[in-house]
Amino acid sequence: MKPPRLADRFLQVFCSPHRLEEVQGDMHEEFVWQVKRLGYRRARWRYWREVLGFTLSFAMKRRSKDHSTSTLISPSMLQNYFKIAWRNLWRKKAFSAINIAGLAVGLATCLLIVLFVQHELSYDQFNTKADRIFRMTLRGSIGGKELKIAYAPAPAGPTIQHDYPGVEAFTRLEEQGTFVIKNGNERFKEERVVFTDSSFFTVFSIPLLKGNSKTVLTEPNTVVLTESTARKYFGTQNPIGKSLTMGTMGLFRVTGVCRDVPSNSHFHYDFFNSYRSLHAREKWLSSGANTYFLLRKDYPVEKLAAQSTQMVRTYLGPELKEFLGMSYDEYVRKGDRFEFNFQPVTDIHLKSDREGELEPNSDEKYVYIFSAIAVFILLLACINFMNLSTAGSANRAKEVGIRKVLGSVQQQLIRQFLSESVLITFLALVVACGLVVAVLPTFNQLANKQFDIGTLLNGRMIAYTLAGCLLVGLLAGSYPAFFLSSFKPISVLKGRLQLGVGSGWLRNTLVTIQFVVSIGMIIGTLVVYRQLRFIQNKKVGFDKEQVLILHDTYVLGDKLNAFKTDLAKQSQITRVSLAGYLPAGNSNSGFDGVRDVNAPAETSPYRLRTYRIDDQYLATLGIRLALGRNFSKAFSGDSAAVLVNEATVRQFGWKNPIGQRIATVGDGSPGDSRTYTVVGVTKDFHFESLHQHIAPMIMLYGGDGYQLALRIRTDHVPALLKTLEQKWKAETDNPFSYSFLDERFNQMYQSEQRIGELFGIFAGLAVFIACLGLFGLAAFTTLQRTKEIGVRKVLGASVASIVALLSKDFLRLVVVAIVIATPIGWYAMNQWLEDFAYRIDLEWWVFVLAGFLAVAVALLTVSFQSIKAALVNPVKSLRSE
Amino acid sequence: MKRAFLGEFEEVVLLTVAVLDESAYGVTVTQEIEQKTGRAVGFSTVHTTLQRLEEKGYLSSKMSGATAERGGRRKRFFSVTAAGRKALVDVKSIREQLWDALPPQTLQLMGG
Repeated sequence: MKPPRLADRFLQVFCSPHRLEEVQGDMHEEFVWQVKRLGYRRARWRYWREVLGFTLSFAMKRRSKDHSTSTLISPSMLQNYFKIAWRNLWRKKAFSAINIAGLAVGLATCLLIVLFVQHELSYDQFNTKADRIFRMTLRGSIGGKELKIAYAPAPAGPTIQHDYPGVEAFTRLEEQGTFVIKNGNERFKEERVVFTDSSFFTVFSIPLLKGNSKTVLTEPNTVVLTESTARKYFGTQNPIGKSLTMGTMGLFRVTGVCRDVPSNSHFHYDFFNSYRSLHAREKWLSSGANTYFLLRKDYPVEKLAAQSTQMVRTYLGPELKEFLGMSYDEYVRKGDRFEFNFQPVTDIHLKSDREGELEPNSDEKYVYIFSAIAVFILLLACINFMNLSTAGSANRAKEVGIRKVLGSVQQQLIRQFLSESVLITFLALVVACGLVVAVLPTFNQLANKQFDIGTLLNGRMIAYTLAGCLLVGLLAGSYPAFFLSSFKPISVLKGRLQLGVGSGWLRNTLVTIQFVVSIGMIIGTLVVYRQLRFIQNKKVGFDKEQVLILHDTYVLGDKLNAFKTDLAKQSQITRVSLAGYLPAGNSNSGFDGVRDVNAPAETSPYRLRTYRIDDQYLATLGIRLALGRNFSKAFSGDSAAVLVNEATVRQFGWKNPIGQRIATVGDGSPGDSRTYTVVGVTKDFHFESLHQHIAPMIMLYGGDGYQLALRIRTDHVPALLKTLEQKWKAETDNPFSYSFLDERFNQMYQSEQRIGELFGIFAGLAVFIACLGLFGLAAFTTLQRTKEIGVRKVLGASVASIVALLSKDFLRLVVVAIVIATPIGWYAMNQWLEDFAYRIDLEWWVFVLAGFLAVAVALLTVSFQSIKAALVNPVKSLRSE
Repeated sequence: MKRAFLGEFEEVVLLTVAVLDESAYGVTVTQEIEQKTGRAVGFSTVHTTLQRLEEKGYLSSKMSGATAERGGRRKRFFSVTAAGRKALVDVKSIREQLWDALPPQTLQLMGG
C-alpha cells in the first residue's frame, strides 16, 4: 500500500527542500489512514489532489538561504535564466524587435502553409473505408493518341462486382450538366447535381441524416439532398416525400437528407439523384461514369488490377468488333491498347489529372513546393537569429566570463542561452498567431480555402505548433549557445577576445544562404508572372474581347430562335451565335471516332474533338478560315458538310483538304455512322488550355442552344446587360446569367495565377526577413568599427568612401548568392515551364533583374546603417577612453 | 496598540494547535479541524497556514518522532509561543467585547 510513486516524485521536485521531510511524512501517514478509511483507490486520488495542492501553494516558496539542488534543471535556475533573458531583451529593444519580427513572420508563414498542406493531404481521408475504395479508370490509345480517362464505362460497376467476388460494393457518379430546379414557384440553377447508385452512402462516409442508406436511391426519380440544400428549398419542413422538378427530367421525390460533403472531398454535390433515373447504357465503349469499388478487407487491389487485360478482352473485345470491325488482337497489333487502372480514392486529389475529372484537382507538386517554401522561410528566420546573437556576443562576453568565474559550467551556460532563444521563439509565436488571425481572410482568398480560427485551435495543431516552436528555438539557439559558452573566462575578462570576429565565416555563409533563397524566389516570381502574361497576350486564334455569353439559353425551348433574331436586331450586338461549344469555360464537349473514307479499311479511327456550330459561330468568335468556305444557309447539303482545323489536315495528311470525305463512328451501330465532306479549313485556335498542343477537331453544322454567344460593340456594357435582362425576363422566369469570354479564358489559368500571387508574396517575405537580418548585422558591424571610422574620418576619408567600405563586405555576399541562385532558379523554373505546351523561353535578363533587385535591396538596407555611421562626428566616436 | 492580525482560518489552526498541546503536527491538526468543525480542509492549506503562523512568530516548532508508517521521516511538532497566546487572547477579548455590546433583545432573538 504505497502512495502513487509519480505523485511522490512530483512532491519531491516542487516542495521546497527544507519542508520536504515533514510534509512527505505527514502525507504518508495520512495516506495510510485514508486507505483504511476510504480504500486504496480513493486514497490514491486524495493523495494526488493533496500533492497538486502543495505544488500550487508553496512550490516556489523557498527559504532563500537554501542551496539549490545539484540537479541542473531546477526551477529556480530556470527562473533565473528567463529573468536574465528578459532583461537582455529589454535592454536591446531594437535588436529584440528585429529578431522577434523576423521569427514571427517566418512562423506565421509556416503556420499558414502547414494549414494549407495539411488540408491538401487530408483529401478523402474522412472516408472510414478510404483504404479500400478505388476508382476504376481507363487508359489506352486510339490511333496513336494517348487517352487517360477518369471514368470507366457505365456497365463496368455492376458487371465487375458480379464477376469478381473480392468487390464488396460499387458506386458510380455521373454528371448531366446543370439543372434548373423548381420547388413550387421557386427555381434555382444548380450546378452540383450528380447521379449515383444507392450504394453511394455505403461506400463513402457521408452520413445520412434522414432516410435508409440501403434503399434511399434504389428507385428511379428519387433524390437525396444535403442538409443545407434541404434547408434552402424546404426551410424547417421535413423534406422527405416532397418533390422537386429536376430540369427537363420531371419530378424527383426526396428520399433522404445527408450531411454536406466535406471541403476536403474530391467532389462536392448538393443533389444525389438515383442512377436509375438515367436510361440504361449497356455499351462499354460509348458510356462513362466515375466508378468506385469498395474491396473486401482481405482483397488487395493488385489482384483486381492484374485482371485488367482479362477484363478488356471479355468486355471490350466484342464491342471493338462492333464499333471498329476488328478484334482486340488486331487492335493491339496496330499499336493501340486499352487498360483499366484502379487508383486509391485518397490519391485522386493530388495525383490524378485525367480527362473527365469531377472537379479540377490539385497537384502534388504544389504541396512539395509550398512545404519547401515554408521550410526555407523558417530557415531564413532561424539564420537571422543565429547571426544576430553571435554578432551581439560582444555584449554578452563579460557576462559569460563572470558566470564562469563564479562557477558556472559550460552545460549551464548552454542551457541559459537555449532558454533565452526558446523564450524569444515563443514571444515570436504569440506575434505570429496574431499575424495569422489578421491575414487569414486574405490567405483564404488566395489559396481558395475556408479556414477559420477553429481550424487552428484543434489539439493536434496546437501540440505540433508548440513542439515545432520548441524545436525552432533550440535549433536557432544551438549555435549561439555553444559559441558563447565556449569563451575562455581569462581572455574575456582581460578584454583580449576578438569579439564577433571568429564566427565571421559562418555568418557570411548564413547571409549568403539567405540571399540565395531570396533571389531564387524572386526569379521564380518573375518567371511565373511572365508566363501568365504570355498566356494572356498569346494569340489564341479567336478574338476573346467583347464577346458576351448568355448561359442556359436552352430553357427558352422553341422561343430561342425568335429571341436570337430579336437580339441580332440590337445595334450594340453585331453577331449572335448558338454556342453550346466554347473554347473557354462551361462548354459541351464531344468526341467521336473519325475515319478517312479513302483510307484503307483497317486503319483505326482517330478520336477527335467534335463541335456543333451554326453559320454565325466563326464570325462571332473571330475564328478565321484558312481554306474553303463557312457553313451557310444557302447550301442545302451542309448538314453533310464539315469544317476541320489545320491540325486535322496535318493528322490525316491531306494535300488538298477541300472535298475530302470522313466518316464518324458514333455509338458503334451502323445507323449512327455518317459520312461528311470537308468544305472548309479553319485556322488553328486554342480550344483547350495552353498546357495542351492544339489537337485536331471537326465542326459539324447544327449549333447547340445550351448557350448564346454575342459579339458586342458598345462602351456601355451595363446598359446593354440591363436591356438583355429585361428581354430575358419577358421570355422566361429562369435566372438570367452571363459571362464574358475573356474572363472565362482567364479563369482557366486561375491556379497558375494563384501560384503566381503566392510566389510573389512569399518572395517578398523572404526578402523582408533576409533584409531584417542584414539590417541588424550591418548595425553590429558598424558599431564595432565606430573607432575605425572615426580615425579614418580624422585622416581625411570622405563619407562616400566610408559607406563603400562598410557596404562592400555585404555586397560581396550578395554577389556570391546571385552566382549560386541563378543556375538553381534556371533549372527549377524550366521544370515548371515543362508543363506548358506553349511557354516562354527563360531569358537572361530575368536573372539580371533578380540579381539587380537583390543588390539594390541589400544596398538600401546596409546603407542606412553605414551612412549613419559615416556621418557621425569623429569627436564623438573617439572621445571615450 | 499593536494588534494581532489573524485570519479566520489562521485562528482555527492556532487554536487547534493550542488544544492539541504537545501532539500538534500536520496530520493531527488537519484531522482535529475536520472532526471539530466538520469542514474538509486540504493538507496543503493547513501546512501553509502553519508555516505562515510560524513566520509571524505565533508558533514555534521542533522536529522529532519518526515512525515506520512515515517512512522514517520526522514530524514537525508545533507549539504556541507567548506571542501566539497573546494573539489568541486578543482575538477572544475583542469578540467578547463585541458580544457584550450586543443589545439584549438582539441576543434573545439569536437564541443566546
